[in-house]
Amino acid sequence: MKDVIVYAEHRRAETRKVTFELASEAGKIAAALGGKAHAVVLGPGSAQLAEQLKSYPLDTIFFNEDADIEAFLLDPIVDYLEGAARIAGPSLILIPNTLSGRDVAGRLMVRLDAGMVADVVEVKSDLGAVVCVSPKLGGALITQCALRAADYGVLTVRPNAFAVETGGTGARVEQIAKPASKSYPAAIDRDVEEGAGELALEEAPVVVAGGRGLGGPEPFETLLKPLARALGGAVGASRAAADAGWVPYNLQIGQTGKTVTPTLYIAVGISGAIQHKVGMRASGTIVAINKDAASPIGEFSDLLVVGDAFRIVPELTKLIETAKGNLS
Amino acid sequence: MKIVVTIKLVPNPNAEKRIDPQTKRLARTGVETVLNPYDEYALEAALQLKERAGGDTTVTIFSMAPDSLKEGLRRALAMGADDAVVLSDEALEGSDVSATAFAMAAALRTLKFDLLVVGGLTDDSSTGAVPGALAEHLGLPCITNARKVEIKGDAIEVERETDSGYQTVHGPLPALLTTALTFGEPRYASLKGIMGAKKKSIASISLQDLSLDRPVGTSGSKTELRSFAPPPVRGKGEVVEASDGLSGAQAIFDFLAQKRLV
Ligand SMILES: Cc1cc2nc3c(=O)[nH]c(=O)nc-3n(C[C@H](O)[C@H](O)[C@H](O)COP(=O)(O)OP(=O)(O)OC[C@H]3O[C@@H](n4cnc5c(N)ncnc54)[C@H](O)[C@@H]3O)c2cc1C
Ligand SMILES: Nc1ncnc2c1ncn2[C@@H]1O[C@H](COP(=O)(O)O)[C@@H](O)[C@H]1O
Repeated sequence: MKDVIVYAEHRRAETRKVTFELASEAGKIAAALGGKAHAVVLGPGSAQLAEQLKSYPLDTIFFNEDADIEAFLLDPIVDYLEGAARIAGPSLILIPNTLSGRDVAGRLMVRLDAGMVADVVEVKSDLGAVVCVSPKLGGALITQCALRAADYGVLTVRPNAFAVETGGTGARVEQIAKPASKSYPAAIDRDVEEGAGELALEEAPVVVAGGRGLGGPEPFETLLKPLARALGGAVGASRAAADAGWVPYNLQIGQTGKTVTPTLYIAVGISGAIQHKVGMRASGTIVAINKDAASPIGEFSDLLVVGDAFRIVPELTKLIETAKGNLS
Repeated sequence: MKIVVTIKLVPNPNAEKRIDPQTKRLARTGVETVLNPYDEYALEAALQLKERAGGDTTVTIFSMAPDSLKEGLRRALAMGADDAVVLSDEALEGSDVSATAFAMAAALRTLKFDLLVVGGLTDDSSTGAVPGALAEHLGLPCITNARKVEIKGDAIEVERETDSGYQTVHGPLPALLTTALTFGEPRYASLKGIMGAKKKSIASISLQDLSLDRPVGTSGSKTELRSFAPPPVRGKGEVVEASDGLSGAQAIFDFLAQKRLV
């Protein structure tokens, strides 16, 4: 395989940050493999998104405004990606490791009879072979997995693994033909956006997460949201908080929730159970606020402040806001 | 209606895991196995659908696992599944996700079903690619992350969670479904369920029962594990006792400032 193809995932014409991360990295991987990097962006709004992607080191940006993308569940996306892969020839396809990215990847793997590595955080080339670094077993082991000389490779890539670096080299924007008519079995009747405009948890550079120690839903709004906002981050939660119905399940971090790797993770009133740890252990810096000095979270935090979250968090938010005010 | 649920037996997530340096595979002997957490939720969803549909609806468990582990599926039978089928064959050892999905699909093809319920993610390999791959192999509509399901004749209506909200979707049966955790907490097995499970059938099939047109196992895999290592240890960091809110906040602020995080 030589070329690299990025699946530019977006929600209603809002490109996800991970797409830009992949677009930034694809050129480097392609250079190491001696090929070119491309992107595929699909559905209403994709012509404009294709223009946006021009500021990344890509060769060809394929797009199609096909309304079927929003009318049917993933089937047309898989068809288009397969089409792009056939145009490029033996290639490596990079897909964000998100809920829908995983579905796309599994299906594309079969279509292309490709090798697949999931949750990749680094891609290396070793004498022409693609070697992927990915954490397994909840991050307990970091594996290096090679794609055997297969024609095609499909990778799901963890958000926040690669830096966004613009640097366009004059990519060509090209409309890709609609794949030969197929019937799509799963139709979307309604599509409801709940967290519109909010930063996706997996993509946030800072995560402020709350647990059972917060005692109810209100502190997520009154304590954590302002702190997250001051830090330019997103709010997350432990399963105890999600199970109690204090926050929606899509904020849950851990074994049965999301995996996050922000630069800064602040755990507020979270004990640090193994099932929580596996979803956040790879964060850059971990700070915990907990009443209990013996709480397991202290074992893997860079800083544990022993004290009452209800008193500490508002003061911390104030300190950060004041510091920001002084700078601007 | 016939429902099949795929269940993987995984090492207890709370137990220490190690990779056998010789085989470079997860050591599965001497480790307690549990039902993969996502699959328990998938089973719960299937059992709820069975209860709602009533009549002659059945729930069959399917697993690809070494024969020595198959008794672990009694727990799923105790929760209320009717029977189980296990695909086990030494030649499957070392299968990566593409070989696994291929073999599973071939076995599932021999079971007739209206609905295939698959977990969203495994606790050990965590590719999340098996559901999509099975749907492709079997030519089924692939409806993932469902939180509400309505069966209407030979059609299915689903409310599914997305990364940023939810969708309602419909499609024909047979279909493949994965379920969101919001579908409902997996039930505990009752004493009666546990007793009854002892008499339920766990049938084994092997590769001989399937005629595969490509290799599986290590030689049929398209990826190769080259090496593995634990992540850099994350030692215990600083601990600060906060006498009041402000001193605690100041300690965090100073720490972040020093790391240029604020
Ligand atoms: C199969 C399975 C899957 C699971 N998946 C997940 C998962 O994905 N994510 C997840 O998080 N968990 C998961 N769990 C649950 C996990 O085991 C823990 O039960 C859960 O993480 C605990 O949440 P918590 O830390 O918020 O609550 P607790 O463990 O109750 O901790 C609350 C903490 O808050 C502190 N506290 C209380 N009051 C205050 C205060 N005023 N100020 C400061 N600190 C305070 C306490 O000292 C305590 O440490 C899973 C469990 C199982 C069995
Ligand atoms: N060996 C297996 N036996 C039964 N089901 C499996 C097996 N491997 C994967 N699955 C199913 O596929 C889902 C996703 O697995 P994965 O793609 O490996 O993360 C799991 O939750 C299971 O329902």
